[in-house]
Amino acid sequence: MSAGAILEVRGVVRSFGGVRAVDGASFAVAPNSITSLIGPNGAGKSTLFNIISGFLRGEAGVVLLMGREIQHLAPHRIVGAGLVRTFQTARALSRLSVLDNVVLAAAGHPGERLSGVLLRRRAARECERDARERASELLRLVRLDRHAGDLAGTLSGGQRKLLDFARALMAEPRILLLDEPMAGVSPPLRAQLLEHILHQRDELGMTFLLVEHDLDVVMRASDRIVVMSAGAVIAEGTPGEIRGDQRVVDAYLGSRP
Amino acid sequence: MFLQLLANGLVTGSVIAIAAVGVSLVYGILRLVHFAYGDVMAFGAFVGFAFNVTLGLPILVAALLAMVATAGLSVGLEFALWRPLRRKRAGFMSLFLAAIGLALVLRQSLLLAAGPRPRSFDVDPYKVYVLGSVRLSGAQVITVVASATTIVLVALLLDRTTLGRTMRAMADDRALAAIAGIDTGRVVIVTWILTGSLAALAGILAGLVQSTFEPNFGFQLLLPVFAAVVLGGIGSAYGALAAGLMLGVAMELSTWEGLLGGVNPVYKPVVAFSALILALLVRPQGLFGRARTI
Amino acid sequence: MSAVTSGEFWAFVAVVAGIYTIFALGVQVQFGFSGLLNFGHVAFMAIGAYTMAIVTVKTGLGMWVGALLGVLAAAAAGVLLGLPTLRLRSDYFAIVTIAFGEIVRYVATNEDGLTGGSQGTINLAGSGEATQYNGSWERFQSWLGGALQIGSKDVLMLLVVWSAAIALLYACAALVRTPWGRVLKSIREDEDAAASLGKNVFVYKLQSLALGAALAGVAGCFYAWQFSFFSPADFQPLLTFFAWMIVILGGVGRIWAVPIGSVVFGVIFAGTRFFDFAPFSYLDSAERAYVRLILIGLVMIGLVLFRPQGLLGRREEMLLE
Repeated sequence: MSAGAILEVRGVVRSFGGVRAVDGASFAVAPNSITSLIGPNGAGKSTLFNIISGFLRGEAGVVLLMGREIQHLAPHRIVGAGLVRTFQTARALSRLSVLDNVVLAAAGHPGERLSGVLLRRRAARECERDARERASELLRLVRLDRHAGDLAGTLSGGQRKLLDFARALMAEPRILLLDEPMAGVSPPLRAQLLEHILHQRDELGMTFLLVEHDLDVVMRASDRIVVMSAGAVIAEGTPGEIRGDQRVVDAYLGSRP
Repeated sequence: MFLQLLANGLVTGSVIAIAAVGVSLVYGILRLVHFAYGDVMAFGAFVGFAFNVTLGLPILVAALLAMVATAGLSVGLEFALWRPLRRKRAGFMSLFLAAIGLALVLRQSLLLAAGPRPRSFDVDPYKVYVLGSVRLSGAQVITVVASATTIVLVALLLDRTTLGRTMRAMADDRALAAIAGIDTGRVVIVTWILTGSLAALAGILAGLVQSTFEPNFGFQLLLPVFAAVVLGGIGSAYGALAAGLMLGVAMELSTWEGLLGGVNPVYKPVVAFSALILALLVRPQGLFGRARTI
Repeated sequence: MSAVTSGEFWAFVAVVAGIYTIFALGVQVQFGFSGLLNFGHVAFMAIGAYTMAIVTVKTGLGMWVGALLGVLAAAAAGVLLGLPTLRLRSDYFAIVTIAFGEIVRYVATNEDGLTGGSQGTINLAGSGEATQYNGSWERFQSWLGGALQIGSKDVLMLLVVWSAAIALLYACAALVRTPWGRVLKSIREDEDAAASLGKNVFVYKLQSLALGAALAGVAGCFYAWQFSFFSPADFQPLLTFFAWMIVILGGVGRIWAVPIGSVVFGVIFAGTRFFDFAPFSYLDSAERAYVRLILIGLVMIGLVLFRPQGLLGRREEMLLE
């Protein structure tokens, strides 16, 4: 279908007790771009996110990450394959420090394996040192470095979203799925977060798939927009194309089937 | 032999079923895994014993009085323990541990009051009813009749009465029920009265079926009951009922020689636990439970 | 009243507290650090003790090999239990672990050929023969007593048990400070967040369960050595409850709170033996045992109601939920 797409979703279906939350959704995400997934409440966006990231099983359909089928993989394996997601409510680990939160996302840390703790002490120490350096850098990037030693539970909602973002970047993803990154974030922090996202795409070639309700952000930042309604994709295109699309207007104004 | 075991299984199963409905309702409405329920059953059995043997009342009257007493105990505990805990916004773990502590207190109090020696209810041990190839003792027949009646009554209560529907609404979604104007406090009291009575009844019937019982027997009963609740799907009263009956039957039938010599009767509870573990592997949400979502 | 000041008695209490420290440390690792609700913990202790005894008596491998195999067997049992059950939701898992504990006890009670049945290890070697692990341990104790110039058996046992307990506490504290321990803590707090960061939650839980089980196995061996003979009835669910109580009493998630919890618990438990005043003086010893357990139950309820963070925990850090 779409050659070179980083992420491809084909015909995914998922029901809950007889209701089709996702009804044959299909779209593709090109590398080095920002794609936004929008639609009214109940359109199936979060469910689709959960299916793509492995937290939910689809009943039918295929999810391809760089050409490889991932729909049957456990969430942690999908992370290993290069797809990282954040959650709608920031899942900061409150009883760990801000720095530890980010360090945790380091992949392949020998100190995190029991065998490594016992047998590969030096490698583990080195990896830990490197991870802490890289984590500090990321915290500096999102301007949370002042709070590095604080417990994550002391951060505000918006700060936690930034922490989630830094943490996700730490995992060195090829594609980053952000579930309503702007929700619950104050306007100044929103601007910051948007700036970071754009920076990642422009300077570092990162790919993003966002679920977002803030249409202002969506229109400004997205390269492509995918519109969902009642579990299916009803429109796909650039912000300009979507703005004028009658189907999208109808979906939002509630003339849903 | 097979039919006899089947009949025994239905008898055992009906006792498990009644207790399982009680545990299920407590979980569904109060979000409490009632680890002390077995000892509440034992309490009911011993109060029944006090009325039946010590005071010489007929078993039916003794049972009813025991149900009242146990309902009273349950309501008392609601005010002394569960309500304060809920007000402190205690979570699952706190409630679980409090229930375990309560179980210990109840059981040891029973031991203190009544001593460890086994007791029996005052029923004619020689009375036998014969139904084809099946022989049932008087105790077993009483149990079946009482259980069947209770099950029908509880089902009617849950299904046909406003109170029952309210209880089910609360079990389904407590916050929503409160918003919908349901007097959750009142429903909680009623739940304790109902489940306390069920516990007493189940305890007495178990004591009848086992012939003798002592204060520790509540915990032994509790595990097959929990197995039934989990198998039926936590929070589903009907599921608990069905699973209770099935487990009772499975436990008894497992000893049938036709099944490769049959299981050593001593291992009957192990059969219940194994059935539970196997079922959960196949269907983690239980028979009637809902699948977990993120 | 002179027994209150009897050194022998309190040395004995201290030994039991030491054994419980190791046992409860297992619960702390499983629950305090990974959030696992294992309520069948006593089964691992039984497996450790029985494996050690059976290997010593029925094979020629000797007591120390038996002890090692006992600990390994307990860990293996943890893995065996966890493989099919750790993916269940936590309240189901809790109930299944209780069932597991009972299954182990049933097997120990009924497989006479293997375990000596309900009479316990007295039966293991056949009538009249003392069980070899008992003899081996006595020999070790005499040797150690000679080497350290200590005459009292209880004091010797105290030193051995507490040395082991402190070593294990240090080891666990160190383990928890590693990146491995950090992953455990993240799993305890938010499994899905940990999974979304690439952690294989299942494997970590399995390791935690096995480690806690191994600790219970160690406690089982010490139990066997301290009490010489044991039977399935020694491993009732009540012991699991005591371990949980010690962890909560000390403070969930704090390794060094465990020995404090077990000492406090030991004092409460043993101290009530000395209530020679009314109304306790009207009760006989069996009845006093019931009262003691009622008190323990009330302490647990009191803890949950009034001080869920335990003696050493802080309110804000409360890890009970």
